Amino acid sequence: MRAPHGLLRLLVLAAACAAPLCASAAPNLESFWTPKLERARSGQALIDELPKAAVLINDTGAGELAAGDFAGLKLKPSAIEQVKAYDYKQELKRENTCNAPSVAFFMQAPFPMEVYQDEKLIVLKMEYFDLYRVIFLDGRPHPPADAPHSKSGHSVGHWDGDTLVVDTTHIESGTFMNNGFNHSDALHMVERFRMSPDGKTLWLTQLYDDPATFDGLAARYMAWTRKAGDHVYPYDCDPSYGE
Amino acid sequence: MIRVLLEDSGMSRRFVPQPLRLARALALALAAAALAIGAPAAAHHSFAVHFVADKLIDVSGTVTEFSFRNPHGLLALTAKDANGKDQQWKIETNSPNILRRRGWSETSIKPGDLVTVEGYPARDGSNFMRVYRVTFPDGRELVGQRPDPTVPSGKD
Repeated sequence: MRAPHGLLRLLVLAAACAAPLCASAAPNLESFWTPKLERARSGQALIDELPKAAVLINDTGAGELAAGDFAGLKLKPSAIEQVKAYDYKQELKRENTCNAPSVAFFMQAPFPMEVYQDEKLIVLKMEYFDLYRVIFLDGRPHPPADAPHSKSGHSVGHWDGDTLVVDTTHIESGTFMNNGFNHSDALHMVERFRMSPDGKTLWLTQLYDDPATFDGLAARYMAWTRKAGDHVYPYDCDPSYGE
Repeated sequence: MIRVLLEDSGMSRRFVPQPLRLARALALALAAAALAIGAPAAAHHSFAVHFVADKLIDVSGTVTEFSFRNPHGLLALTAKDANGKDQQWKIETNSPNILRRRGWSETSIKPGDLVTVEGYPARDGSNFMRVYRVTFPDGRELVGQRPDPTVPSGKD
């Protein structure tokens, strides 16, 4: 069938845009976003949509968990062994200083990001460690399970009304909590991004499932403030720090 | 907090008890475990694990080096101990990216500057701290990580 053109094309587009998942009707997240330090969670409604059994990890933005505090998660025996073996002073060594965390940790770091948006693609340019993410909205599946893993993983997304839902797999094992608890490379993460009605705040929840390292589900919440016109700075991590 | 004044070119240094023998023993135990199991460090540098968040100390002296690169800036300082002997201190800053937005730059601090640094002590009791504030003799201040009981200490 030939591609519609002229008036027919307009009618097809109009019909498509009447559908709930019309990409062109999706909220426009494109902007510079800087972490929002909140004393009260403005995006509580998004948190309330998480599964009730999910453990909310309260270490986002400027927050941190102390040594030995794993937010109440029940760690698997192998994870307990890994945590016992953790030596925080190793982090200051040249080979570890610039070892960036994965998407399961870097999104909540207190650094800004730029968001670029198209109907089929969203790109997040992170300031932290000069990382970036690509979220495919074109309906493609994840690659085979044995495909290479990366810090950002492989992300596919779709719009659920005003909420961007992103499913990420193929995440390289890395920091889950920066007190020594790492996630496995089998971590599965589902995110929900939503803007406030005034477009000034971006909220996100991340839901994690990693049966290799902990029981049940875990989650994080984070928020950013729109600051149009600004841009991220280069990070250029220097591995010589600590020498 | 115990405060001890030292003769140091008219500048002073506050002193806190050696923090946490227990933490040092725990660190040694963890290090031994790491050697036994050989687990790699895959976590980014944590503030809470390295520093005592609810204590502030201060050190005054002469800047010998200032590095303003990510993941953290680093200030090296020569101070005097109670016997007038030189002591070398290292002071970690927040990420320079964060500090640029708070008014810092590569040239904010120069070797030879006399400064007083207030910060959070290292858990292992070494001459290492995380900066809260740098003050110059003319009263100029550079704020790194502000203590705020309503906001947990940062990992930036």
